[in-house]
Amino acid sequence: MTLLAQTLIFGLLTGGVYALMSSGFTLTFGVMRVINLAHGALLIVAAFFTWWLWDRTGIDPLLLGLGLTVVMYGIGWVLYKTVIARVQRIDPELTLVASFGVAVAASGVLSLIWGTEARAATPSYFNTSISLGEIVIPRAQLYACVGAVLLLAALYALLRGTFVGRSIRACATSRNGAALVGIDVERTMAQMFAIGAATTAFGGAALAVLYQFVPDSHYVWIGRVLCIVVLGGFGSFAGAAAGAVILGIGEALTAAYWDTRWTTAVPYLLIIAILILRPQGLFGARHRLEGATT
Amino acid sequence: MIELRDLTAGYGGGDVLQGVDLAVERGSITCVVGPNGAGKSTVLRVISGLLRPRLGEVTLAGASIAGRSTPDIIRAGIVQVPQAGGLFGDLTVHENMLVGGHVLRRDRKRVKRRIAELAEAFPILGERAGDKAGDLSGGQRRIVEFARALITEPQVVLLDEPTLGLDPRASAVVFETTKMVQSLGATVLMVEQNVRFGLKLADHGVVMERGRVILADTAEALLARPDMSALFFGSTPQAGEAAEGREEARKSTAAGSLA
Amino acid sequence: MNRAAKLSLAALGVTLLALVPVVSGNIYLQNLLIMTFLLAVLASGWNIIGGYAGYISLGHSAFIGVGAYTAGILANRWGVSPLVVAPLGGVAAALIALSLSLVTGRTRGAAFVIVTFAMLELLGLVATNWPGLTGGADGLVLPLPSWSVDIQNWPFYYALLLLVVLSVLMSIAIKRSKLGLGLVAIRDDEDKAAGIGVTTPVYKAIAFMASAVLVGVAGSVYGYYVSYLDTSALFDITLSVEVVLAALIGGRGTVWGPVLGAAILQPLIEVTNSSFGGASAGAVRLLLFGGLLVAVALLLPRGLLPELERLARRILRHREPSLTGARLADRPVPEFLRRSAPPVAADGTAPPSLLSVAGVSKRFGGVKALDGASFSVRAGSITALIGPNGSGKTTLFNVMDGTYRASAGEVRLAGDDITEWSRTRRAFAGMGRTYQLPRLFDSLSVLENVAAVTDEFRLRTLLASAVSGAEAERATELLEFVGLGDYVDARASELSYGQRKLVELAQVLMLDPAVILLDEPAAGINPTLIRRLAGLIRSLNETGRTFVIVEHDMHFVLSLCDPVVVLSRGTVIADDGPQAVSSDPAVLEAYLGDDFVAEDIDAPVGAAR
Repeated sequence: MTLLAQTLIFGLLTGGVYALMSSGFTLTFGVMRVINLAHGALLIVAAFFTWWLWDRTGIDPLLLGLGLTVVMYGIGWVLYKTVIARVQRIDPELTLVASFGVAVAASGVLSLIWGTEARAATPSYFNTSISLGEIVIPRAQLYACVGAVLLLAALYALLRGTFVGRSIRACATSRNGAALVGIDVERTMAQMFAIGAATTAFGGAALAVLYQFVPDSHYVWIGRVLCIVVLGGFGSFAGAAAGAVILGIGEALTAAYWDTRWTTAVPYLLIIAILILRPQGLFGARHRLEGATT
Repeated sequence: MIELRDLTAGYGGGDVLQGVDLAVERGSITCVVGPNGAGKSTVLRVISGLLRPRLGEVTLAGASIAGRSTPDIIRAGIVQVPQAGGLFGDLTVHENMLVGGHVLRRDRKRVKRRIAELAEAFPILGERAGDKAGDLSGGQRRIVEFARALITEPQVVLLDEPTLGLDPRASAVVFETTKMVQSLGATVLMVEQNVRFGLKLADHGVVMERGRVILADTAEALLARPDMSALFFGSTPQAGEAAEGREEARKSTAAGSLA
Repeated sequence: MNRAAKLSLAALGVTLLALVPVVSGNIYLQNLLIMTFLLAVLASGWNIIGGYAGYISLGHSAFIGVGAYTAGILANRWGVSPLVVAPLGGVAAALIALSLSLVTGRTRGAAFVIVTFAMLELLGLVATNWPGLTGGADGLVLPLPSWSVDIQNWPFYYALLLLVVLSVLMSIAIKRSKLGLGLVAIRDDEDKAAGIGVTTPVYKAIAFMASAVLVGVAGSVYGYYVSYLDTSALFDITLSVEVVLAALIGGRGTVWGPVLGAAILQPLIEVTNSSFGGASAGAVRLLLFGGLLVAVALLLPRGLLPELERLARRILRHREPSLTGARLADRPVPEFLRRSAPPVAADGTAPPSLLSVAGVSKRFGGVKALDGASFSVRAGSITALIGPNGSGKTTLFNVMDGTYRASAGEVRLAGDDITEWSRTRRAFAGMGRTYQLPRLFDSLSVLENVAAVTDEFRLRTLLASAVSGAEAERATELLEFVGLGDYVDARASELSYGQRKLVELAQVLMLDPAVILLDEPAAGINPTLIRRLAGLIRSLNETGRTFVIVEHDMHFVLSLCDPVVVLSRGTVIADDGPQAVSSDPAVLEAYLGDDFVAEDIDAPVGAAR
């Protein structure tokens, strides 16, 4: 019983971090219908930045993650302007391939700079935990999850309460309508993509603290992100958050009751199972029909 | 108020507009009618800055605005209400109003003041402020779209097929709302398929065909013309063979621009 | 280049490659070629699903692993050479592809990418975590080759060369077959393909299996070649990246593009491997692949071969028949359409209803596009469906032909309740449909566009030549019938708008349909063509064919159609002869201005003026 409670709490904490990690992907897909396969690589890039800065300065990695938000925003902006927007104009079908190419190239660059050794940022509280009776809550997990949830709240506030956020949501519903109220649609798309990339900063920092990673780890992480959005039904934030928690708990249960070696298989199994049995996602998020009704 | 002179514009290879001349009187409602493919909506797209004209001039109160960007044109005082589907259904009614004030985003006070003023004229803005715009009825949506366009206190409001896909009650709402927009001091230029609806609402009527204006008169005079249905209905048996040649000419132009 | 020249050039190439090991004992060169062959087989296979059908797979290297392990495990168990059981590796790969087709059956492109990626990673994990079967992380050692050292790697070399030849032959065979035509149709416009009788889930499943099978065999051979199976190397996604890259560089959807791409890419890989030592070689390779993928997507989105072909065509300046030369002479209805014409009811008895909708509603979110529409189409009639913009005409067409499922109500065809039938099944049952903006398969020729139509599903003819035999004759005859006999070889994308409409009509006629739905056939075409179209419709109708026509051109409607059904706001407001309908005040109001609005708003207008 304790083990189950412990496992569920652990899974929930992980799910909170996963929710932040997948939020940027969901944003980009929801607004632009673009599957950004470089999202995992952005997480790993942020993780490397975090680890490197932590290694040099000793500043808390999660705090570094907050600071890196600006950097990842810039990287997202550049990525959109140089690759994504251009491919969209040439052949939208190839956006997927191009973003995958970006991911592969990024892992090459990371390997050249920092090598292929496994890295992890291990702050002082790394191996400590809080005990609640028999239940143990690791501090790193807890801090990462709290940070992630706060950032998700901030993202929500940004999308709901600011002019930029409303413009993004307006473009997602009707680009024509958005253009007619004077929104610069192209610029808003770039901002949106950059915000999506910015969410990987803290996500990557949490990754750097909680997991070991190498440049090639971006495959594992895009796998997790894809699993989360497939579970949640593409493009829905609430669905993705629920998918993140399900994946977190699923992995924790697998590790606790079966075999840790199989935890990495959980996302892929879930992807295949969901796409065969319920391609619209667990919560049946409706895909908007964009046809005219004439 | 708005004047188009020899306006030529199009997409890709063809010119949809082939020298449009049109003048809209200050404070009036002017309705552009004509068959499918005549270029009615393209006129609005050019004025609102969504499409750059190839040739010709667009002036607002004497000042040239041709080829300027949409935000610039909104600031200059012209706002277009899009065809059905331009409302941001995932946003609340209030948020739609805020987005409507996009070009004024540095002036939050003014946006706030305008929303309050408009809520007086259109009570639904206050009553349903927190509801998703997508959940409103057809007529209510149109009201929100009209109100959204008025945030920036435009001198000219462009309406693109405001009754498209609406039921009679919603169309009646559009009718009254447009009158209201006029009474609030704006000049209205609209494009409408539903000819009688448009001309009953408007002060002036403009008939377009094949990318040109072929007739402009007061709406009343146009409505009273005996060949009205021939002009817009295509060749009905009542209109007889006379209309056929014109109809076919129209089709061949359309083919030319599509081929 | 004609076929014979191409063939002899290919034969020459294969012969030269076959001579390489005999002439040169250079192991390095042999290895390079073996790896190139492997990549060529992979890219060729990938191209069948990714290029022909347009479904991009990011996990194709998994089939290498599946083949290698299948052959390796069986060889060790049975004590035979892995080369003997290599075909079983292909079978295993095809079976895995078939099971994943459960996904492709229901979803479109993006889901496929994700599921192939997941498959690759999952299979890699299974291989690593199941030591009992695969040796796990320790790997699986295969027996050393039993042949003499003198012939070095010859068996691997020739086996893989043979597989390249087979891959290319399979690519050619599929491209020329009905299957291939259907796959390209799916890539260009999957909905439309379903509407002309392409059983899309089956086609996609077969394509995916075909794309996997030879890769699986090649994997078996490759596994034996490296003699030691290591999960991380065999289920490496980098290889999948190389595959996509090779196919993209050479040209997706072409026969030779993937082979060319492999021949360009593999030497490049070897060069980076030899110029950068150790760990950084891998990094540089990743950077190169990733960068190339982005660069190809941005700069060479169609690939080398198609670009070269375009260049060549521009230099040679192909002369196309000009639009003005189109013959518009009336031709009789083709014989095969006459024979199968449904019987016309005898005088006096009312003809039976062929197609009917009853109480059909369709909602999109909160908008009700159709609201209990009911009418029926008599066999042998030309029924018009008219109504103002936004009244739901096209939506009703989409419900009738199965593009949309009705939210409520029933659709019947020749007595059957077809409400839940798929589009393809309706096409097989004799329902054809054209679109407001004609939808053709732009990468196919005019003749292929018509020949892509199938009026029933036959597994055995899938591999029959795409345009041949009685069907090709029928297609040609139909194109002549609609007046496009001179255009059979033109690309669909080169046609004018009006010509596209005629091709679409010919497509529909290939279905030998009992009822034909035409969506605004006269819109946007010139008067001569309109008259010609009306003539075609009339003569087809005389052979007993039933039409339902959505049209705005009232002259066209009133001179051709009887009865005329009028739709307004999603319901039928009139259903009568043309004369009666055109003098029906409710209809005039629906078009010119709504009754309700007109009366309701008269007062305020008066007050305002």
